[in-house]
Amino acid sequence: MSLAEKYPQEVERILAKYPPEHKRSAVMPLLYLAQREEGYITKAAMQDVAQLLEMTETEVAAIIGFYTLYHDKKEGKYRMQVCTDLPCALRGADQFLEELCENLGIQVGETTADGLITLEEVKCLAACDKAPMFQLQSGEGIEYYENMTVDKTMELIEALRKAGKEVE
Amino acid sequence: MSKTVTLTIDGKQVTVPEGTLIVDAAKKIGVDIPVFCYHPKMQPVGMCRMCLVEVGRPVVDRATGQVVKNEDGTPQIRFAPNLMTACTTPVSEGMVVLTESEKAHDGHRAIIEFLLTSHPLDCPICDKGGECPLQELTMRHGPPQGRFPYEDKIHFEKHFPLGELIYLDRERCILCGRCIRYQAEIVGEPVIGFYQRGRATEIVTYSDPGFDSYFSGNTTDICPVGALTTADFRFGARAWELKAEASICAQCPVGCNIVFNTRREAKSGGRVVIKRVMPRQNEEVNELWICDKGRFVHHYTHSAERLSRPLMRKGETLQPVSWEDALRTAAEKFEAAGKEVLVLASGRLSNEDLFNLKALADGLGGRAVLYGDMGGGDLTTLVGVGQGTNLATLGAGDAILVIASDLQEEAPIWWLRVKQAAERGATLIVANPRATKLDTYASFVIRYANGDEVQTVLNLAKKTDKIGQAFAEAENAVVFFGSEGLGLEGSQRLAVACAHLLRETGHVGKPNNGLIGVWQRANDQGAWELGFEPVADLQAAFEQAGAVYIVGADPFGDGRLTLDGVKERPFLVVQEILPTPTTEVADLVLPAQAYAEREGTYVSGERRVQRFYAALPPYGEARPDFAITAAIGKRLGLDLEDGSAEKVFERLAVTQPAFENLTYARLAEVREQWPIVGRGDLYYGGTAYENRRGLGVQLVPAAQREEPVTLPEVQGEAGPRPEEDEWLGVPVTRLLDRGTTVLLSTLLHRRIGEPFVVVHPMAAERLSLAEGQKARLTVNGASAEVTVRVDETVSAGVVLVPRSMGLPLYEPMKVSLKAL
Ligand code: SF4
Ligand code: SF4
Ligand code: FES
Ligand code: FES
Repeated sequence: MSLAEKYPQEVERILAKYPPEHKRSAVMPLLYLAQREEGYITKAAMQDVAQLLEMTETEVAAIIGFYTLYHDKKEGKYRMQVCTDLPCALRGADQFLEELCENLGIQVGETTADGLITLEEVKCLAACDKAPMFQLQSGEGIEYYENMTVDKTMELIEALRKAGKEVE
Repeated sequence: MSKTVTLTIDGKQVTVPEGTLIVDAAKKIGVDIPVFCYHPKMQPVGMCRMCLVEVGRPVVDRATGQVVKNEDGTPQIRFAPNLMTACTTPVSEGMVVLTESEKAHDGHRAIIEFLLTSHPLDCPICDKGGECPLQELTMRHGPPQGRFPYEDKIHFEKHFPLGELIYLDRERCILCGRCIRYQAEIVGEPVIGFYQRGRATEIVTYSDPGFDSYFSGNTTDICPVGALTTADFRFGARAWELKAEASICAQCPVGCNIVFNTRREAKSGGRVVIKRVMPRQNEEVNELWICDKGRFVHHYTHSAERLSRPLMRKGETLQPVSWEDALRTAAEKFEAAGKEVLVLASGRLSNEDLFNLKALADGLGGRAVLYGDMGGGDLTTLVGVGQGTNLATLGAGDAILVIASDLQEEAPIWWLRVKQAAERGATLIVANPRATKLDTYASFVIRYANGDEVQTVLNLAKKTDKIGQAFAEAENAVVFFGSEGLGLEGSQRLAVACAHLLRETGHVGKPNNGLIGVWQRANDQGAWELGFEPVADLQAAFEQAGAVYIVGADPFGDGRLTLDGVKERPFLVVQEILPTPTTEVADLVLPAQAYAEREGTYVSGERRVQRFYAALPPYGEARPDFAITAAIGKRLGLDLEDGSAEKVFERLAVTQPAFENLTYARLAEVREQWPIVGRGDLYYGGTAYENRRGLGVQLVPAAQREEPVTLPEVQGEAGPRPEEDEWLGVPVTRLLDRGTTVLLSTLLHRRIGEPFVVVHPMAAERLSLAEGQKARLTVNGASAEVTVRVDETVSAGVVLVPRSMGLPLYEPMKVSLKAL
């Protein structure tokens, strides 16, 4: 199913925001929409966006490639993005991340075997005074978790895992 | 006149128009500021910082507004604290620029050092080595040693195909963006782009096939490093081993100026071969660009199949004979046929060849016929574009009509230049029965039904709608007419209608006004100038002849001639460079030299006479066409010139009024062109060659010579219309077809693809066919397997059939299409 078939109203609403001669400006919101379900932008979705906006696929791809919040590969259902920029590092973010890796048995950039969590290291997320912190990105949106410990984080992951199972 | 500005660069004064960038002003006086991302044909972006210079401006007293003077009376100059990028900074009055100061050198050194932190520096195995801007600027400005750890170099993929034609070496790329901007800004086909960011940035393509653009090869000329190379040339030779000879592309009527880079090599059995084709600057023709057909279709010149000796029919087979025997036989047969000699020549031949062929036919009282399916050349000689025409100067206030032609497929560089004229504000009217790529840039798109070609032009001439008015009121107007959907007669009628439109609106007889034929071959215009014309019924002409002399054409391969049912076949002499179905049925085959092996001239569609030079030694015993014809003529007691192409041209110039006063020397004249390319530095304009061997001369059309011009009457309908319950097969031209010369470049096979036809989705449904399905196309009893494609802009009842794809369709005809 194409993007326009899957989300007819939303696509229309997004396109309506821009004058027809500048419809390519709709590329960012459409890509978010395309990413919602799978957590990444499939090749087919990319083609859909290109067609809707009369852009080449390469132009759409270039945007996906440039922005770090668009993803082009299937990875974890949740992306756990831990800030390790200087202020956070001063509050122990480095160590937090290291221990988290040990607990999850993966390296930064990797995904847990069950496909639930992809661990990433990012720059300042503007919550420097509440480190260790991370944001959790998924199809449902982005949530901040502040003043975290490894234990609290593992609990959170367990809860997510359960929630996912229940839905299934 | 725009305002000018005077400034000093490295102590030299220069006056340039306001708004000029420092880098261009410097180039004008021979100061080469190092650049990577800047290219004079594109908008500056200031991405690479290589062009750093010191910029000072006169100090102005705020109170008085006067320039403050030093004690010695010179203006006081204040230099900016930071270095500035010469490629983004416009000049200003009294500016002082230092490009060689200590500070500027520090800047250059630093940028090179940064660029090299992750560059592999594998110059010894890099195709760009020897003509590489990065190599050159590193030698000139780089630090003797880098301070970054060697281990920190990032490694990327080195042989990444962006398609079958262009390879990317990701490590070598310095991310200047020239290639991406070329495709987006100049070509308008953004099929390559940057992916990721920072040090991870790489060039990607998502088109299918990869890097899907007819202009892709040009990016390898402007890439300032060895990141982009052609599949054709990579690892083929070192730049400094190559010889360069000027030529003209013979693949379409644009007549792009090119250079053949050649080398003698063991790999080719010790022969001198063409290693690559490069653009040669001619700002009035092709600027710095050529299309991929022109760049890659050169392999036929050294095909192992080339005809190297004369062959004569002995029963079923063709046997080698001496030139003497061959020429004598030809002469005897022609003499015997006398007035019944038919010379059939194509626009693949040079003017010199055609001139001698015409003289031979005339001398015998025979007939000289142009091979082809497009008429109207008599009209382009009358009201063709005036001398001084330059598409690059068309813009706001001017109009261009393109009718019955898919310009990108038929003449890519014209497509590019017409597109750019439209972007400069020219009114572009695109009239065609189906959508073409030019539509995007059109001010008006006219989608007429097949058969309405002439009517469409007559409607414009009425000036009753805004399209007609825009054309009539334009300051300058050019019409490109083609033959899509039309046969010989139809295109002739269309040309007449266009000529009337131009004349009635006052658009003839002056520069940037007139008619241009989008011909099928490079020198069709030249053939018309010299008195050749096509015939409607070629088969009849063939059968009536006593002897036939076919030169540079393959009518048997194209399905234009057949021996089936021919009772008395004429003696057939075929002069060719390669074996074809036509040489197979010949009685006598005469091996001709490829045009790259000899000198000559072509007349482009814009009626520019241009010289090409001998880049390769002759192949085997092959001889130039004009010389073979002259040798036959001599044996018939005709006075034909066989000395040299130049001598033939001298005769041609005295007998043909349009060529009056033209000489080889005049055609070889050059003027300074802007931008200045191909001299000491290759970083500024890329590896396109400077034009040192001639810009050519445009012929003066009759209308500009102020001779009385009588145009034929406009006649009814042009092309046939599809009938009820019938399918009209309409030939369309594709740039890369299955022509003998194209097929010998194996590199292009995937781009050529399989034979296909295009129909309207509803037509497909009626035939129970779907996109991608196989079907059988039958034309005139002959049939072929084709893949079906659908396009909703194709008229109902029409089946588009690409020419030269092995399908015997050369003018609109009834066809049948059945699912397999
Ligand atoms: S491939 Fe060449 S032209 Fe393109 S960005 Fe890289 S260095 Fe520049
Ligand atoms: S546009 Fe025509 S003349 Fe120019 S390179 Fe291409 S085929 Fe040759
Ligand atoms: S440094 Fe981590 S949120 Fe600002
Ligand atoms: S910044 Fe001026 S040439 Fe690149």
